[in-house]
Amino acid sequence: MSIFIERSTKVLIQGITGKEGSYWTKHMKEMGTQIVAGVTPGKAGQQVESIPVFNTVRQAVNTYDVDASMLFVPPRFTKDAVLEALDSGVKKIVTVADGIPLHDAIQIRQEAKKAGAYVVGGNTSGVISPGKAMMGFFPYWIKRVYKPGRIGIMTRSGSLTNEVTAMVVKTGYGVSTLIGVGGDPVPGTRFAEMLPFYQADEETDAVVIIGELGGTMEEEVAEAIQNGTFTKPLVAFLGGRTAPKGKRMGHAGAIVSGGKGSVEDKIKALESAGALVAKKPSLVGQLLNRCIKEERFDDKRC
Amino acid sequence: MKLFEYQAKEVFKEAGIPIPEGHLINELSQLDDAVRQVGLPCVLKSQVLQGGRGKAGLIQLVETLDEAKDKAEEIFNSAYHVKQILVERAVNIEKELYLSVTVDPVDSKALIIACEEGGIDIEALAVTSPEKIIKEPIDINLGIQGFNSRNIAYNLGLDTPYAKQVIPIVQKLYTVFRKYDAELVEINPLFITQEGHVVAGDGKLIIDDNASYRQTTYEKTSAYYDNEVEYEAALEGIPYIQFDGDISLMCAGAGLTTTVYDLIHYAGGTVANYLEFGGPNYRKAEKAMSLCLKNESKVILIVTFGTIARADVMAEGVVNAIAKLKPDRPIVACIRGTNEEKAVELLQEAGLECLFDTEEAVQRAVEIAQGGMVS
Repeated sequence: MSIFIERSTKVLIQGITGKEGSYWTKHMKEMGTQIVAGVTPGKAGQQVESIPVFNTVRQAVNTYDVDASMLFVPPRFTKDAVLEALDSGVKKIVTVADGIPLHDAIQIRQEAKKAGAYVVGGNTSGVISPGKAMMGFFPYWIKRVYKPGRIGIMTRSGSLTNEVTAMVVKTGYGVSTLIGVGGDPVPGTRFAEMLPFYQADEETDAVVIIGELGGTMEEEVAEAIQNGTFTKPLVAFLGGRTAPKGKRMGHAGAIVSGGKGSVEDKIKALESAGALVAKKPSLVGQLLNRCIKEERFDDKRC
Repeated sequence: MKLFEYQAKEVFKEAGIPIPEGHLINELSQLDDAVRQVGLPCVLKSQVLQGGRGKAGLIQLVETLDEAKDKAEEIFNSAYHVKQILVERAVNIEKELYLSVTVDPVDSKALIIACEEGGIDIEALAVTSPEKIIKEPIDINLGIQGFNSRNIAYNLGLDTPYAKQVIPIVQKLYTVFRKYDAELVEINPLFITQEGHVVAGDGKLIIDDNASYRQTTYEKTSAYYDNEVEYEAALEGIPYIQFDGDISLMCAGAGLTTTVYDLIHYAGGTVANYLEFGGPNYRKAEKAMSLCLKNESKVILIVTFGTIARADVMAEGVVNAIAKLKPDRPIVACIRGTNEEKAVELLQEAGLECLFDTEEAVQRAVEIAQGGMVS
């Protein structure tokens, strides 16, 4: 059984009739994702890929069982759409919007926590369990990247994920579940909050995190290892080791500020907790080899 | 978007936060009037966006008009490209405090931070003496309550008359934080004057760029950028950072571009510019390349691994850009992702070798930049 999303997860698509929404609905369905309904205000009665469209989330959940909602909604309407899903009791939400205002992101995360729900994103490609199901827009057809297997992956970046995951697959591994938490300063869900699910997942042998400068998410992962919440092997690749201080490197969240967020600090925290940190994407596979073998032969953490 | 100090203080004034009397001047000829209006002694404060203005000599306390003229001339002629000076009445300082509102991404709350030592580097103090820093989280879905401001003001160890002045300032600063979609709003220092008033000595306001559609008071003009190319890129919505090394990056995806930046440094190379033409910009190869060509770089390195930003579309854009711009320097391309087979074909037809390994592409670019063989 994979985490967050699996074959049996019943997915609602908010913003299903839009260009991105309808295009990726087709792909998610083709890959095997169970999409039960869609929502676009004012478009009730239409169908997208034979999926019925409703005006509101409440109408959709009153008609169909919904486990999760996938949002293809522009950033300025994302807060509204997330709160609408939470209001209808949806507990798993993925939003791919790039450009959600910071204050909206804080409100989204705060309300999700109050509701006991998980909002993944924004500014992400979403969540995928290769060969099973996906909420988001991953090029799952590129087999040298999205190969099913037993490595869990969490990432703050899209293109870099393709790069690093290709290296994991090249070494002979595959992916159990890949969660893109996104590149924003306040992601709805943080790395450490997903670790317990990877810990419990019997289909995941080890986890790779793809992080970068900025924030404290990697340090929180180190803490989870340190306090024994997470005990499987963990390998990290972090972008921005040589980035100058005070410059925002692409992602809104990728900046050293408030004295926090340097890659050196993250490496120090992760390594002292017992994780392995790859200097280059090409080394991630080798490090996985090293710690998975060690785990197997002398039951020692990597 | 980081505002200039004088703009942050305009916002403070509008919100009812006390500021010293001040006048903004654009040239030396306006100095006399400004000094007459605010009185002597006064402070000349260069309006630049960088920190550490005091150490750089960009803030000067002056006692006489002649001194003011000398110092203002020095500032305008300095290497810091100062275009405006805020002339402010000098304050008789009794005590300096620190006050700011920012975001706590873990707790997903606003965070008011205060300290009874102002004018300091709060980041450094957070490391050396974290116990001196007072924090008050605010659930922004509930908004600031009276007790939040009282918690701040009475924990600063102030006498009651001062605490009673600080309380509304905390409230108002939080209001500014919310109203302007701020990443950070900061008063450092917040002065207590010898006359017993509490006044904002400095002002910093950083507005979230993602909220620019609903934050229209301040327009982001070229004055907010370090150089013209960065401004031109910003107008196109293309993420761009100037670095002045040898290799122009023309990559897709923030994480991948940042990683390529690292790999170049590991390989002993230097970066001329960071540029992303992925995401919504993946059809802008020509614009991206023309920005790179404005640099003195020795080679352009293209690395992508896109999903929606299709490899074939990006390769076609690159081929067309080369035909049109006729770049005067070599290009190393490593374009992968959706429809990558087609991308390879297109690049080959145009006589470009398409590499498939990021590290190999980086190595190739560094060799070219260092005068190695151009293949």
